[in-house]
Amino acid sequence: MSSYNELIKNFERIRNYMREFYVYGFKSRNDYDKKSARSYDDERRRLESWLGDYMRFERTRDGKNMFISIDSRVTVHNPLYRAFKAKSFTDRDITLHFIIFDILYDSTVKMTLPELLDTIDNEYLCDFPEPMVFDESTVRKKLKEYVEEGIICTEKQGRTVLYYRALDKVKINVDAVQFFSEIAPCGVIGSFILDKLSESQENFSFKHHYINVALDSDVLATLFDAMSKKSYITVTNLGRKSGEPKSVKLVPLRVFCSVQTGRQHLLAYEPDFRMIKSYRVDYLSDVKIDEVCENFDKYRALMNETQIHMWGVNNRKDVERLDTVEFTIRFEKGEEYIMGRLMREKRGGKVEQIDENHCRFTVEAFNCNELVPWIRTFICRITDIHFSDPFVDKRFKKDLKKMYRMYGIEGGAEE
Amino acid sequence: MIFSEIYSAYYNAVAKILSKVIEEDTTEKDLQNIIESTAFAESSLTILPALKSGKWQVINEELTTPILNAPTMPLTTLQKRWLKSLSLDPRIRLFDISFDGLDDVEHLFTPDDYVVYDRYLDGDPYYDEAYVKNFKTILEAIKNKTPLKIEILNRLHQPVTLNTLPIRLEYSEKDDKFRMISKGCKYGGTINIARITNIEKYNGSAITLTREKQTEYKVVTLKVYDQRNTLERSMLHFAHFEKQVEKLDDTTYLAHIKYDKDDETELVIRVLCFGPMVEVIEPDGFRNLIIERLKKQKALM
Repeated sequence: MSSYNELIKNFERIRNYMREFYVYGFKSRNDYDKKSARSYDDERRRLESWLGDYMRFERTRDGKNMFISIDSRVTVHNPLYRAFKAKSFTDRDITLHFIIFDILYDSTVKMTLPELLDTIDNEYLCDFPEPMVFDESTVRKKLKEYVEEGIICTEKQGRTVLYYRALDKVKINVDAVQFFSEIAPCGVIGSFILDKLSESQENFSFKHHYINVALDSDVLATLFDAMSKKSYITVTNLGRKSGEPKSVKLVPLRVFCSVQTGRQHLLAYEPDFRMIKSYRVDYLSDVKIDEVCENFDKYRALMNETQIHMWGVNNRKDVERLDTVEFTIRFEKGEEYIMGRLMREKRGGKVEQIDENHCRFTVEAFNCNELVPWIRTFICRITDIHFSDPFVDKRFKKDLKKMYRMYGIEGGAEE
Repeated sequence: MIFSEIYSAYYNAVAKILSKVIEEDTTEKDLQNIIESTAFAESSLTILPALKSGKWQVINEELTTPILNAPTMPLTTLQKRWLKSLSLDPRIRLFDISFDGLDDVEHLFTPDDYVVYDRYLDGDPYYDEAYVKNFKTILEAIKNKTPLKIEILNRLHQPVTLNTLPIRLEYSEKDDKFRMISKGCKYGGTINIARITNIEKYNGSAITLTREKQTEYKVVTLKVYDQRNTLERSMLHFAHFEKQVEKLDDTTYLAHIKYDKDDETELVIRVLCFGPMVEVIEPDGFRNLIIERLKKQKALM
């Protein structure tokens, strides 16, 4: 039986736990898979260690519920990034890391593998009571990893390979990295950069800040890499309804990020269905980059053409058969800011002022159902509304009546 | 791709420890402090014994090291690619940043790969030179803790002058706007940077520094009916608030959400967007705000 370790080898399991604890937070230990009770205890302990006071608990009749509670407006650094800084390693990994970079302290120091091995043995390890012994293949493998990471370079002199530290000419602007590490995609990478610098003053805070997307950074980075290579991917997608993981082959085209719902979607061409579909990024895992897709540019052009008709992330229907939505809202004198709200939130829609108290919004979109939550934010002002999809139209009006009933407003009785 | 030990808190802690040991005589307590500030709560249980016992052969039992130089690591290709991607973001104009050394590096992502589709359309003008200059002046003032004399247009479009000490910049991703949070200003401590018409260093007599306005928090309790995937949608939607959720039965949940009183109107419309799937339970004041809107709506249609 292996003992508990604060560090982890695989990110995927903790990604799921963190999501559960952060987004929901109402499950007790018993609600998790019974077979993995030990795993639950270990993950909970890790999260307590990484996140400290952000981990909270509540006792309920079903047991102790653990959850992560963070007001992201108050927190200047995304605490969920800490999970990405908990990768396990071996004793030999860490020992070699610091010795290699000390030997290759400067880019002008260039050494062959045997020279490196000699220096490690004779100048670094010899004074330890039981010095580690590194064979050639272990050190070569580590150097190869670092070459792939771009932190060690190689140079050939005849048949000999020389290793040296990558030259670093980039000047870091700490303010920019602090800012973008919180709001740019894969911001955790910026956080890694900040970790290597000395502490500095925090000048930024963030409102409406969905820190949960951090948990998808690794998936996102691989998707971006696949897009830059114009490649197919094979990825595991967790079925939203079935709850079952399924492997799918896709051509990733663009990531759609919402700053109002906390969700990110991948829009991808699915060859099996010959269409562009959307996939929740937080439901994707185990992304493998496959062969180059010859038609990548064609699919992206199709994406660009159709994107103007997307209100949200739905791109499934035929461009010839768009839904239409039209609604009118009333505002009083002094409430002209409502027009301003419509103008800044209209996306691809059209706003026209009808008279001094009314304006009309119209849009053509793939799926008018996607507009419903936004339209509801104008409740108290809507004077008429029409969705071309009768089902959505009927449901919108029925929901309104349901709300009247829910809040005890006269006239909301069931029909 | 991202999850690698070279970025780990343990490596960072050991790098700091080695720097300290190289620089001066170090006690175990010093190492403990470094671990606590750099790694996790339980990390010292692993790092210290591993270093002292020779499991990790970079420090010996006497707390000396064969390492000669304070550890550093060049930027990885991934870090460079991420930095290069920032060059395509319009907000990068707010910072004096050079991308020298990244010429041969590919972007990690470009605007073709990534789109924010629901950001408001009246975001700050990052291509306006006056705006950029004001932003930079404020950022410098925050860093140097120097007060500023600021001219803004009020709601009636009249110019107003404020003497204030900026303390940080708050950015809203949804609004795509920067706000200056400050002290010493009688009109409230939050000013939209885009509304500033003139800004200069304040050279007058010492300004009376009011305290930073303390956020007044309130809690709203919502009943979430899990139909049409509302549980997941609402929990994600409200994820950036401090919150606590209870399960009542298989389809009903209670969510307690802590919010800034100043943002109450915004929260009211955010609750409304879930329709009959989310009901305000308490406080009555918040519930009444919803009822008020529904009554008005009913009268209209």
